[in-house]
Amino acid sequence: MRILLDKFSKSFGSTKVIEDMDLEVGSGEMLALLGPSGCGKSTTLFAVCGIHRPTSGRIMFGDRDVTHLPSQERNVGVVFQSYALYPHMTVEENIGFPLMVKRVASADIRKQVADIAALVHIEDLLGRRPAQLSGGQQQRVALARALIRRPDVLLLDEPLANLDAKLRLEMRSEIRRLQKETGITAILVTHDQVEAMSMCDRIAIMKSGEIIQIATPSQMYNDPRTSFVASFLGNPPISFLKGQAHQGAFVLGGSGLRLPLATLAGIPDGTALSLGVRPEHFGTAGGVPVEGKVVFAETQGRENLYDVVLPDGSVLRSIQPVRDDVKPGDSVRWNLDSASTFVFAEDGQRL
Amino acid sequence: MIAPAAVMIFLFFLMPVVLTAIFAMTNMTTATGISGGAWQVTQGAINRLKADMPDLAGGIAEPRFVIDEEGLAALEALKLKAGFSTELRASHMGEVFPSRREAERMIKALKDRPSTREVKQISDLFNRSVLNTRFETRDGLMASLKKLGFTLTPAEQETVATATYTGWVWTTENFRIIGNSPDMAQIFLNTAFYVSVTLLLFNVSYALFLAITTHYMPASTASIFRAIWLLPRITPVVIYVLMWKWLTWDSGFISMFMGQFGYPAKNYLLDSAYNAWFFVILINGFIGASMGMLVFSSAIKAIPQTQFHASEVDGASRWQQVRHVILPQLRWPILFVTCYQTLSLLASFNEILLSTRGGPGRATEVWSLAAYHTALNNYTGNLEYGLGAAMALVLVVVGIVLSLIYLRIFRYDTLISKPLIED
Repeated sequence: MRILLDKFSKSFGSTKVIEDMDLEVGSGEMLALLGPSGCGKSTTLFAVCGIHRPTSGRIMFGDRDVTHLPSQERNVGVVFQSYALYPHMTVEENIGFPLMVKRVASADIRKQVADIAALVHIEDLLGRRPAQLSGGQQQRVALARALIRRPDVLLLDEPLANLDAKLRLEMRSEIRRLQKETGITAILVTHDQVEAMSMCDRIAIMKSGEIIQIATPSQMYNDPRTSFVASFLGNPPISFLKGQAHQGAFVLGGSGLRLPLATLAGIPDGTALSLGVRPEHFGTAGGVPVEGKVVFAETQGRENLYDVVLPDGSVLRSIQPVRDDVKPGDSVRWNLDSASTFVFAEDGQRL
Repeated sequence: MIAPAAVMIFLFFLMPVVLTAIFAMTNMTTATGISGGAWQVTQGAINRLKADMPDLAGGIAEPRFVIDEEGLAALEALKLKAGFSTELRASHMGEVFPSRREAERMIKALKDRPSTREVKQISDLFNRSVLNTRFETRDGLMASLKKLGFTLTPAEQETVATATYTGWVWTTENFRIIGNSPDMAQIFLNTAFYVSVTLLLFNVSYALFLAITTHYMPASTASIFRAIWLLPRITPVVIYVLMWKWLTWDSGFISMFMGQFGYPAKNYLLDSAYNAWFFVILINGFIGASMGMLVFSSAIKAIPQTQFHASEVDGASRWQQVRHVILPQLRWPILFVTCYQTLSLLASFNEILLSTRGGPGRATEVWSLAAYHTALNNYTGNLEYGLGAAMALVLVVVGIVLSLIYLRIFRYDTLISKPLIED
């Protein structure tokens, strides 16, 4: 089911958290709301599920205006960061709760709980209580409870934040599998760009209550609209060089580095610029040699990560296949792939 | 570091119970005192003796006149005619007269012809009645009785000693009185009624109602409501009860209000047993509700907010939220409040004492108030410490038994069981 937020605003008292947000999530699509904490992504999610009422604007599920409906009547499934399982109920009672409050016959509930439990692989835990489950198991119970009444919309609020690294990887693909199998429209709230990129069809990146860019993960990675987006996606993160425009080229003061860039045609000389260079675009490939000194080296097994200080003091990050000929302190002359760099104006907008 | 705590527990918790138990096994009253006693043939002792030894009881109830050396010495000291004592010693020594009349007839017949006044004077000197004489030892009493001509077997002596002893003795009689007296049964029923109704209606139900409704209110409104319901608790109880009296007595608010509709003024508090109970339960309930309200409110606050959000999006109505999310998680607090308030209602009587004093009649007399009246303060002035202590002990036992039952009902063992966490 399509979800539409139309000029959605939310304030708490006099604090405006979100102003005039427009967002559309296609039917069967999984969208990530990605942003740092305090950017309003959870507020948006709570408004979609009805826990918070919007201050103004409309929320549509399909053709239905749900803006003023209480959560009970919205038919949404929510997985909370803390799972919010009812500690006094067994797993079976927890999963069956949404049906129980609808007064579905108990035989029916049993059957549906068994089905959904099989889907999330917890069929042998049904008699336990939440306190007797591990984090991953609790997560699956929460998912099953969110899915059991076949909601129009599945909302996930940082569902993986409380899991350890290995389990997080496993649940990432598990949630995506369930979402695809059920064909449900889903919104994932997360501050983890890896989660957002690996699980979702599209990402809406948020900052201070505003959506900065909505795009598919690869579009967003390769074509960020602002320096904020570029810095938020990618691990290890992008590095920035502060310089100026000069005759259609990016010039880094003090180091003699000069990058002719097509995007800089027509930019007045002396305009302050910021050049974003992803670590994979600085190293062996590329056409512009850059000299610097390695100050930090770290191996990640398959790849090595280096921090290189340029003569003017700015730092470029480089990721390369494992090599052991470079140590911290070495002077290097590596190539920069200028065609893959992003140029941002001083206000962060991409040029 | 357990020693100070143990000493405290012993001094302030165990010792009172132990002392109560000790007092409960005695027949101490104002009359017996709490130290030792003496042996005295009082009218009460004679009444007690009548059942077992009617002859003896009848005998010692009457004065006896014995012609003995002691009397003769006193007679000589009076300096009457010397012939009186000489003749009495010579011909009547050791004689016992069962009544004054007989003794005086004998004295009148003396050769020296005593005047009527002298007869009275002389006979008084030989009056050897034990009635109302206080003997410091048991042997003293027995010797006196023997001298008066009562020969008693050891078993009879025992009976007489028991009947005439004025001090306290060890006994289990108190418990028989408690068990058999219809008054006690009525007081027991009063107590059961008072505790269960106050507990169920106010201390738990009304407190739950307040806690849940304030939970769904905006924070500022909720705290105003809670503060209002705390007032009865923080008002000094004497003033609080006095305000109820102002409300209910014959020149009070209710009388004035009802007077507008032509009803005559009356004391609504003590007017009938029904009204007295109504107000006693309200007075106690309004105080008691605040504690449950605070405990339940904080317990509801301790439930993570997301559980309320989750149940809302799961489709639960507010009532279902209360029924399936809040109430099951309040099991412990409800157990605690029920248990605690049962005990405190059983033990506290100050509000009743201040409002109805157990009246009208003894309609609102509850167990602890009755124990207080019995042991510490009553109209006749004979305070029965032993019986009162026995009543208090019964209260302690009832409290312990009730606590154990509550723990059982609320399945205490499952509440404290450890989770079996595994990955």
